[in-house]
Amino acid sequence: MNPDDLKYHKEHTWIKASGKKATIGITDYAQEALGDIVYIDLPEVDVDVEANSEFGEIESTKATSSLIAPISGRVIEVNEDLSETPEIINEDPYGKGWIAVMEIEDPSELDDLMDASEYMKYVEEEAK
Amino acid sequence: MNLAILGAGPGGYVAAIKAAQLGARVTVIEENEVGGACLHWGCIPTKAILSSCEILSRIRHSKAFGIDVKGEIVPNRSKIVERKNKIIGTQVKGIRNLFKSWGITLKEGRGNLSSPDKIAVTSRNGKTEKIATERIIIATGSRPAGLADLPFDGKRIISSDDAVKLEDIPKSLLVVGAGAVGCEFAQIYNELGSEVTILEALPRAVPTEDRDISKVLEKEIKKKKMKLYTGAKAKKIDLRQDGAHVTLPGGEEIVAQKILVAVGRSLNSNGFGADEIGIERGHRKEIVVNEKLETNVTGIYAIGDVIGGLLLAHVASREGIIAARNIMGADEKIDYSAVPYAIFTSPEIASVGLKEYEAEERGIKISTGYFEFRTLAKSHCIGEIEGFVKMISDARSDRLLGVHIIGPHASDLIHEAALAVRKGLTARDLSETIHTHPTLSEALKEAAEDVRKEAVHIPRRVL
Repeated sequence: MNPDDLKYHKEHTWIKASGKKATIGITDYAQEALGDIVYIDLPEVDVDVEANSEFGEIESTKATSSLIAPISGRVIEVNEDLSETPEIINEDPYGKGWIAVMEIEDPSELDDLMDASEYMKYVEEEAK
Repeated sequence: MNLAILGAGPGGYVAAIKAAQLGARVTVIEENEVGGACLHWGCIPTKAILSSCEILSRIRHSKAFGIDVKGEIVPNRSKIVERKNKIIGTQVKGIRNLFKSWGITLKEGRGNLSSPDKIAVTSRNGKTEKIATERIIIATGSRPAGLADLPFDGKRIISSDDAVKLEDIPKSLLVVGAGAVGCEFAQIYNELGSEVTILEALPRAVPTEDRDISKVLEKEIKKKKMKLYTGAKAKKIDLRQDGAHVTLPGGEEIVAQKILVAVGRSLNSNGFGADEIGIERGHRKEIVVNEKLETNVTGIYAIGDVIGGLLLAHVASREGIIAARNIMGADEKIDYSAVPYAIFTSPEIASVGLKEYEAEERGIKISTGYFEFRTLAKSHCIGEIEGFVKMISDARSDRLLGVHIIGPHASDLIHEAALAVRKGLTARDLSETIHTHPTLSEALKEAAEDVRKEAVHIPRRVL
């Protein structure tokens, strides 16, 4: 269910690093808990964000939630399709529902993140 | 008691009626039509136009409610203006009838204080008449403030007084100032088809509101495809034949057919003899009054925008009541401890009392409750789920200090909170009061519960 080649952040974002670039999105658990997503406030391209800080916002029919950056770096691309059809995140959180691509500032930050099995345990723990 | 009132806006006309009810012989002097800026240039015309815009927006989004509309949906500018003017006309008649029924004399002309007990009234045909009076209330109001480098010309560079005439819908509009007035007009013109860019010198939209309110409004502005630049001033404005060429802080150039300057209001505190008879004015040129609304000149009172402070129609009216009662023998002080107000953006904003940043500045320890409208079934029924209620109470006593709302019908929802703040009730008093289901007012109850983190309908936070 949670892809093995991704890293996971405790605020329920995933990151797929390849070289200096990393694609970021929210996890299946997060989209399920949020319910129908109706709007996403995307970060701006070229903005520097810090790990664990807010870099956008997601509105569902139930709640408004901050998007927390799993890693520090510069936003180099955002998924513009989400501005008109944010529900893609519900449909395909690990694929077409990606949110942004960042240029990683410090690759060692990746070591602080969870792998798929750790994240699964973390979510089970949180759901208790 | 003879009383003369300069100005028939929401301060002056209310003072006139109250004083007449208490037995005064009242003369009101007004150079324009009764109703003031509120009725002719501000509160009422903008709300009339906003209602047209709201209908337009509803029809445009009717599919979501299961209504298919066939054919083109076109706002009819002249009909919108006609409707607005009709509403103003009805209200003017209402005030004139109230004056008649309470035996109030209306002198149409410009008043000038010749002495503390004499006013010269010059009518439009140039005739001057002297009126002797025992007491005077100055209620001369305010007008849009301009910028030295962007002087109003009524065509290219316009004020809110021009914008409300809705003479045309420019292809593009630059709004300077993202306060209440700027944001309301930005929304009106955006809905009617202008491409709107907003520039705000301060760091956020509606910069004096609670920070969380600004954040939601900024997002809604973005959703409506308006461009907002905060902490920003135009680098260069070049007025050319095809419009104003505006260089934005980032270096980008936009062409705006019109520029609406909405940066506040200037007080009408001179030009009618106030200085000549020695009435004291403060550093903002406001007429200085004490808590009983008396100026330094015996027998002369002042109310409304001209005394500075909160430039709000309902504050002017309240001051009018207090001044009238004091003139008729009472000894009352004006109380500003709970003044609610609203900004009619979409969603609406309404607020009373202390904001979180004010509590921080003053070192007051607070607890906050927060509740999103999207959690309520009623919000989903009416299709307006954006926004929240934020409640601020004293961390120790639970006494409500402030309530801030952005969301559907915020302007009507705020008054339960205003009463609570004024009477020193606690968040618990509010949350223990049964609220009707299904209504938007449930958001206030839930926010009050959330002060103690006991809200029933707050979902578990995930992200």
